Amino acid sequence: MTGTSSLEEARELLREFPVADGHNDLPWALREQVRYDLGARDIATDQSAYLHTDLARLHAGGVGAQFWSVYVPSDSAFLPGAVPATLEQIDCVRQLIDRYPTRLRSALTAADMEAARAEGRIASLMGAEGGHSIDNSLATLRALYALGVRYMTLTHNDNIAWADSATDEPAVGGLSAFGRAVVREMNREGMLVDLSHVAATTMRDALDTSAAPVIFSHSSSRAVCDHPRNIPDDVLERLPANGGVAMVTFVPKFVLQAAVDWTAAADENMRAHGLHHLETTPEAMRVHREFEERNPRPVATVATVADHLDHMREVAGVDHLGIGGDYDGTAFTPDGLNDVSGYPNLIAELLDRGWSRTDLAKLTWQNAVRVLGAAEDVARDLKSRTGPSNATLEQLDG
Amino acid sequence: MADLQDELQATAEAGRLDGRPAAPPKRKPKPSRRFQAAHPTTPQDGPPGPADGAEDPVSVPPGASGASGASGSAGRLADPEGAEQSDGLREAHAFLADHPVADGYSGLPWVLRHLPWYDLELGEGGVDTDVPRMREGHIGALFWSLHLSEPLTGDRAVGATLEQLDLVHKAVRAHPEGLRLVRTAGEVTDAHHCGRVAILPGPAGAPALGDSLAILRALHALGLKALTLAGVSWAGESGLTRFGEEVVREMNRVGVLADLSGASEQTIRRTLAVSRAPVLCTRSAAHALRPHPANLTDDLLTALGEAHGLCMVPLTAEQTGPSVGDVADHLDHVRSIAGPESVGLSGTYDSGAAHPEDLTDASCYPHLVAELLRRGWSPADLALLTWGNVQRVLRSADFTARAARDRREPSTARITDLDG
Repeated sequence: MTGTSSLEEARELLREFPVADGHNDLPWALREQVRYDLGARDIATDQSAYLHTDLARLHAGGVGAQFWSVYVPSDSAFLPGAVPATLEQIDCVRQLIDRYPTRLRSALTAADMEAARAEGRIASLMGAEGGHSIDNSLATLRALYALGVRYMTLTHNDNIAWADSATDEPAVGGLSAFGRAVVREMNREGMLVDLSHVAATTMRDALDTSAAPVIFSHSSSRAVCDHPRNIPDDVLERLPANGGVAMVTFVPKFVLQAAVDWTAAADENMRAHGLHHLETTPEAMRVHREFEERNPRPVATVATVADHLDHMREVAGVDHLGIGGDYDGTAFTPDGLNDVSGYPNLIAELLDRGWSRTDLAKLTWQNAVRVLGAAEDVARDLKSRTGPSNATLEQLDG
Repeated sequence: MADLQDELQATAEAGRLDGRPAAPPKRKPKPSRRFQAAHPTTPQDGPPGPADGAEDPVSVPPGASGASGASGSAGRLADPEGAEQSDGLREAHAFLADHPVADGYSGLPWVLRHLPWYDLELGEGGVDTDVPRMREGHIGALFWSLHLSEPLTGDRAVGATLEQLDLVHKAVRAHPEGLRLVRTAGEVTDAHHCGRVAILPGPAGAPALGDSLAILRALHALGLKALTLAGVSWAGESGLTRFGEEVVREMNRVGVLADLSGASEQTIRRTLAVSRAPVLCTRSAAHALRPHPANLTDDLLTALGEAHGLCMVPLTAEQTGPSVGDVADHLDHVRSIAGPESVGLSGTYDSGAAHPEDLTDASCYPHLVAELLRRGWSPADLALLTWGNVQRVLRSADFTARAARDRREPSTARITDLDG
């Protein structure tokens, strides 16, 4: 493990260049746990019994900017309500910002992020997680932008009509014509194109289409751990030309090969008992507990995540890395990165591995700010030349 | 400060005081300064003020100059008309130049949605409302309805309303010389002083909320200014449910006006009781004169007047009648029952409705005002009718929202909690 001195140095570094994290699911956790009753989960007080996230732990973790995810489920049972639910998620973030004005600050631009850092407040941005949140409407996409959403992940776990997901069967083979129109409209508005969760084919199509740098709000390296949610090297290699940023995620079942295998075995065990692998009925939970007793869950560590960053730095370069913890969006977290207070442990580990302070400042802060600013520049340029598009799925994809 | 400055009576008075000493009395009348200040695009040789109108034998009616707008003085001079009508119309134009129309309803967004291309600043033949005709009709502020012509409910209505709001933003941005999107009473006045028509997005239909107060707040953040309380389970025939009352309180808190045209009588009465901000009826005339379901009975008009709400009389043949006189009859009636502070105008153009003769598009308000002047409406009452009452309601809603935000947290109540 890392020594005290490097941990001290990590904290000091983060005071200057705090973490700009790409993905935190606090809004969905608040919806599921207390139906947005922010008084019942007052994050100004200790919420470690319920959440990965509260203000004290964000401070301890050296977080200076957070993309709050306005995620809504993408499964068909939920779909008709995706747009209204996304608005409710957005309202939740706006309420959080209003409720804790001395700790959080709304950020819509790179300049806002820098201003928040100067004030010692956490720049609060929003990211939508999945194209289902716009219901095939470019007008709705613009409405989300107007409400403050600054990135959209093109898909979540399920395919949508115009883009393939990493965790679904290939359908359109990447982006459809309408999917490319969505990417162009995002470029025009200044909304970052997020390629976490999408199929590798979609990543490549989006990189071919996007005029602005892209991000991966919470994805790690597929070469280090072979899971479809991670980024293949050929895509990482394209980031320098694109200018984009891959924000490493901590989710054990994506980053640790043993955890990937264990999860696959656990799912297989569920199916062997005639259950769906995501079922949470008492019977399913009992089957799952018994499996876990026989097969202890592999534990990821800070070093696991650092391995990913080492490889990603090798392939994409240090100007194209970031951090996207996915806190409150995942049940399990690595040892040492148990909640949002853990970032200094990761920075200390990287210091021990010889990362320079310059590199670490890029990783934690500068790359994320740069990529949002670049998206704004592209939008300014495109808006001066083109009008908003009202292309429809029917027109373009027939 | 804007809230204090936009007292319209005060402005008019100040203009009159300023204007007189600067303009020594001559036989040939000189346009008053307040006229020019209100409409910077109007040329110096425009129509004279109301007090001088009768003395001018040369000028011809500005109302007849078609779509050339306020800048079309040449058109006015070239157009011969009967002297009697010319005087009345000229007086109406002069009055409206000081006291423009705040129009409570336009169906334009839904029509624009289906036009492949349009230019509202140049003039657009496909619609009843464009910038030249709004200038001709002296429209200073206009509610743009977000109602959906297709009967969408539930989640589809939310998405479709987002699309309508996007369209409103897009259309206003595309016409920066003519239109300006506004949120508050102060911004309405600012827009008018800059020679722009203030566009207020709303009313939207209640289904647009998807039964969620969070969505109400999101729509308000996108500019929504009014919501029609009808067509949902929580504002039906039996009035507001508990959730419906919570919706009204949250509307008060964020500053979205309640529109009660088309709402049930019980909903109207309950909303008048619950709402801390004045309400609008964006398209309601007098039921006593014409028994249309959206028209208000005298009972309701009285209640509306007591609550300082606003009955905005639509210029549609169906609700008011086929002639200018019919509309004026309704305005007379509403004024006498609800009071001069509770009557307003609602063009209802581009909504598919048929309009009375001489009131066929957004340029026609001077015809109506001329008729009201002929009937002896006092300048004070007329000024309230065209502009003052809407300003008061908007300002009052702004104040209510500011006060309520300090007292109340955003409501997270759910329809399932309150209505079971």
